[in-house]
Amino acid sequence: MTRLPKVGAAIAAALMMSATLTACGGNEPASTDSSMLKVWIMGDDGSKFEQLVEDFTKSSKIEVDVDAIPWDNVHEKLTTAVASGNGPDVMQIGLSHLPTAVDAGALADLTSVINAHPNLAADKFLDAVAPDKLNPAGKTLSVPWISDTRVLFYRTDILTEQGLSGPPATWEQLREYATKLAARGKGQYGYYIPQWDAPLPAQFTWQAGGDVVDASGKINLNTPEFKRAADFYLSFYSDKLVPTASDFDQTQGFISGAAPMLISGPYLATAIKEQAPELAGKWAVAPLPSDKTGTALYAGSNLGVFSKSTNIEASVKLLNYLADPATQLRWYTLNGELPAVKAALNDPTLTGEPTVKVYVQQLTNAKLLPVTAAWDPIGQKMLAALNEIALKGANPDATLAKLHQDVNDLQK
Amino acid sequence: MIETIPAADAATHRAAQPASAAAARGRSRRGALTPYLFVGPAFALLVVFGIVPILVAAGVSVTDLDLRGLGDTDAVRFIGLDNYRRLFGDGEFWSALGNTGIFIALGVPVIIVGSLAVAIALSQSSSRFFRLLTGFYFLPAITAIVAISLIWGYLLNGQFGLINYVLGLIGVDPVPWLSDPMMAKFSVALVAVWRASGLNIVIFLAALQSIPKEYYEAASLDGAGEWRKIISVTVPLLRFAIFFVTVTTLIGWMQFFDEPYVLTRGGPTGSTTSISLYIYQQGFQFNEFGFASAASLVLFVIIFAVTAIQLRARRLSHD
Repeated sequence: MTRLPKVGAAIAAALMMSATLTACGGNEPASTDSSMLKVWIMGDDGSKFEQLVEDFTKSSKIEVDVDAIPWDNVHEKLTTAVASGNGPDVMQIGLSHLPTAVDAGALADLTSVINAHPNLAADKFLDAVAPDKLNPAGKTLSVPWISDTRVLFYRTDILTEQGLSGPPATWEQLREYATKLAARGKGQYGYYIPQWDAPLPAQFTWQAGGDVVDASGKINLNTPEFKRAADFYLSFYSDKLVPTASDFDQTQGFISGAAPMLISGPYLATAIKEQAPELAGKWAVAPLPSDKTGTALYAGSNLGVFSKSTNIEASVKLLNYLADPATQLRWYTLNGELPAVKAALNDPTLTGEPTVKVYVQQLTNAKLLPVTAAWDPIGQKMLAALNEIALKGANPDATLAKLHQDVNDLQK
Repeated sequence: MIETIPAADAATHRAAQPASAAAARGRSRRGALTPYLFVGPAFALLVVFGIVPILVAAGVSVTDLDLRGLGDTDAVRFIGLDNYRRLFGDGEFWSALGNTGIFIALGVPVIIVGSLAVAIALSQSSSRFFRLLTGFYFLPAITAIVAISLIWGYLLNGQFGLINYVLGLIGVDPVPWLSDPMMAKFSVALVAVWRASGLNIVIFLAALQSIPKEYYEAASLDGAGEWRKIISVTVPLLRFAIFFVTVTTLIGWMQFFDEPYVLTRGGPTGSTTSISLYIYQQGFQFNEFGFASAASLVLFVIIFAVTAIQLRARRLSHD
C-alpha cells in the first residue's frame, strides 16, 4: 500500500518547478531552432507518425521530433507543460481533454496565421467540428485532426436466430429487440450500457431533440429531453435488459453473445477482429437508432500549438500539411484513424469498406460534447446519479432534483 | 525526533568527558553543534518534503487554484474557507470518509492478527520449507501493484473470473465480487490485506527472533502450554512491534488508494472510493487543486490526530 503522494506535495513540486524555471532566465522556449518542431502524439508509438511527416520534412526542410505520449499520461503531461511552460510546439489533444487545454491557456491563438493555409479553412472540416463549436468566440485554438464516433454494434447471427431482420432503427425498435434478445435465457442480455460511459446519456438527450447546454452556453440537464433520455436509459435497467455488473466486459460480452447489441466506437471493431477473428461475418455495425434524431457523439482528436511555442509559423505549416486530404488518407492507411477532413472521408478507400462506410455516414450526424471544463465533473455527476437510480434503487425524482442542484452549484 | 536528540546528546557528552578541562570548553562548543549536524540532514529532508508541502497545501486550500492558475498566477483568487465549506457539504466526501472507515475496520485488525499468527506459526521452525514459506508470504509485497490488480481483476471478474468458474463447478451461483457495492468493499480489502501482510509478517518474524529462548524454557518449566506461552510471553514481548505495525498499518489504510484505484476505480457507484481516491479525482481528474488541497489537509489532520492518540495511549500504558 504505497501512500498516495500528497496532492499538496505534487502542487508544491509543480510550483517549485515553475519558480526555478522562471528564476533561470524566463520560460525556456519549447525549441528555439526554427527548423525543428517538437510534436506530441498521443498513443504508445510515434514511429508511424514519423513516417507520415517524412514528406513534410523533405519539402519544407523542417525537422519533426515526435514524442509519443501514452493516453494514460496525457493529463499529467499537459499539467506539467502548463505549469512549467515547457512543452512541445504542436500537440495532439483528445477532444475530451480539449476543454482542459483551452481553459488552462495551453493553446496559442492561430486566427491571424491560419488564413494563409488553405487546408485549414473552416469549410474543409466536418460540420461537427466547425471552428465556432470548438473554440471560444473569435479564437482558433486548435484544428481537427482525426475523427471518431459511436455506432451500433450488433450480432447478425443472433438477431437472425431470433427472427429479427436488420438492425433496430428507432428507440422503440431497440427496446423491442433488446427485450426479445434478453428473453433467450439466464445470463443473456439484450443490450449493454457501459457504466463509465458519460457521453451516452448526453447522446440520448441529443437524440430526443434536446441539448445538454442551454442558449447561454451553460450546462443544463433540467429539460424534458434530458428527462426522456434518462427514462430511456433507466428503462433498460428496470426491464432487466442489460447486465448490472460493473465489471462486465463489453468485448467479451459481445463475442460470447451475452450482449449482442451495444453502442461503441471503432475501437471495439478492432478489438473484436483481434480477439475473435472467427466471428467475422457474424456481426455488423449500423447508424445509431434514432428518436427524433440519430445523433452520435463526435470524438477524436485535434491538433494545437502550445502557447509557449516560438515556432508558430512552422507549426501551422505542419498543421496545414496534416490537414491535406492525401496526408489524412495516408494516416488512415498507416494507423487506422479516420480523417476529419470532408474531402478525405469521401474517398473510395474508406467508403469501400462496409464498416467504415457506416462510421463515415454517422460522422455527418455527430455532435461534440460541450467544450467547457465544467462538463467533466458534471458528466460524472450525471452518470453517478443515473447509476444510483439504476443500480442502487435510489428515488429517481429526488436523485435527479439533486443532480440539477449540483449542476447549478458547479457552474456558479 | 524527540528520542534521537537526547540520545545524540548523551553520546557527545560521553565522548567529551575524558578530555582535559581547557580543551573541553572549546570542544564542547563544537560538541554542542554535533547533535544538530547529525539531525540536520533528516531535519532538512523533513522540512523540504514534509513540512513545506503541507504549508503549501494549506496555502493552496484557501484559493481556487486550478490548471489555468498554474500557468497564470493572476487567475488564482483567495476564497477563504469556501473550499472547506464546499467539502463538508459534499455528500461524496462523507461517503468516501465512511468507506475509508469501513476499510480500516475490515482490514487493520485482520492484518495485525493475521500477520502475527502467521509469523508465530512460521517461527516454529527454521527449516528450509519454512523459509520458503516466508518468501512466499513476502512475494505480494514486492510485486507491482499493476500486475496484482490485473491478476486479481481476472480472478474476481464476475463474468469470466477463475473464482466464479471454480464456484460454478461446485454449483454455486456467480458472486458479483467487484460489481456489488458491499461485496466490492470486501474484495478490495481482501486484496489489500493479502498484499500488506507479507511486510508485517517479516517485521513480526524479526521481532520474534529477539525474544530469548530462556523465557520459553522458564515458562515450560512452570508448566505453561504453547497457548499460554504465546499469550503471556510472546505477545507482551512483541508489544513494540505490534505498536509499530498498528501505527503504520492504520496510517497506510487511512491513505488507502492503490487497490480501489486499480481494481474498481472507486466504483460501483462510489462504494469503494476512499478518501485518498476522492482527493485524487478532485485534484487530478477535475484539476480542482485548491479544493483537493483542502480535502488532503483534512485527511492530514485526521491522520495526525489518530497517530497522536496512539502515541499518547502507548506512553500511558508504559507509565
